[in-house]
Amino acid sequence: MDRSFLADKDVISASRKFVCIRLATYENAEENEVLKGFFARGGNLENTVFTLLTPDGKTKLVTAGRSPAWAFGGVSGRGINAQPEESIKKMGQTMEAIALAYPGEGKAAKGSPPLPYLADLRLALNVTAADRQPLVVVFSKSAKERKKMEQKLSKLAWSDQFIGDAQYVFASDASEFKSVKKFKMNSGFIVIQPGTFGLTGEVIDVIDAQLSADKLVEPLAKALDKHKPSTLTYDQHRQLGAQAGAHWKSATPNTDGLSRRGNGWRPRR
Amino acid sequence: MTASPLALDKLCKESNMERKSLILVVVLLCVPLVLFGQEAPSESKTEKIAWHGTWKGGLAEAKRTGKPIMLVSAVPQCHSVPGVW
Repeated sequence: MDRSFLADKDVISASRKFVCIRLATYENAEENEVLKGFFARGGNLENTVFTLLTPDGKTKLVTAGRSPAWAFGGVSGRGINAQPEESIKKMGQTMEAIALAYPGEGKAAKGSPPLPYLADLRLALNVTAADRQPLVVVFSKSAKERKKMEQKLSKLAWSDQFIGDAQYVFASDASEFKSVKKFKMNSGFIVIQPGTFGLTGEVIDVIDAQLSADKLVEPLAKALDKHKPSTLTYDQHRQLGAQAGAHWKSATPNTDGLSRRGNGWRPRR
Repeated sequence: MTASPLALDKLCKESNMERKSLILVVVLLCVPLVLFGQEAPSESKTEKIAWHGTWKGGLAEAKRTGKPIMLVSAVPQCHSVPGVW
């Protein structure tokens, strides 16, 4: 994934006027098909996809490709690339122009969005490790209680204080926490430090499910502050992970490069 | 030439006023520094994009709000080693 585009302050500022969706490629068959509808050379889904879309999700507003570089110019290729300033600027400006054309619809656009959930706890540990962020699990066996918890937490998740600081997932069964150390069965907002390779996690704090949104602010801020991001470089991470036997199996087959290699299927990532 | 008590008193008052004005100016100049100092933590916060993690959830939100979509997908592994994009 190309971080230099997505880490730019103007792009991030413009992103607040978009609904930003980031999927984990090859982890959901239905999502694979959606992605292929936007970019799939030879009909094969590749490791990475980027595009901007109309609010109904049907029409591409820029050229789709493996990264923003396909739409705005810049450096393409494996890994994270430093992009030319003009390409990053073009992305920010294009997004601002699109946001003017699609400013959102009245009260709905201003209201608090729902919690931006990841698909499940297993994937959430991996994604938050990759993002080097804490994970907040809304845990309760009761769907009714979870809904109340979600409403309170969503207000904070999209607030200026917390936006982009953590990722979220819900769990309804204690068995989902089998890879999480220090987990206790009580319902609550469970803040987790993902393991370096995203296969495990450790509970940082459990915040009472009954707290009001206002009372949640302080304990949530304190818990998120306890998160310690990995400091490994990309190569160190890969080498140490291989040495440690850290292995991830995608939910669906990896088809990256299949078109370019012909019939000899050989998964890369 | 010597100043009359009245003139001295007036001069003192003016001097006090100047001193007060000076203090006020200094305080006003310092207020933004103090405020900026208080806000320093939020300014130093690294802003990040806030992502929806599923197509279904994100699309529903885009339809609800009428906002355009930024769609990114990536593999959270490298050579099967997870925890990295």
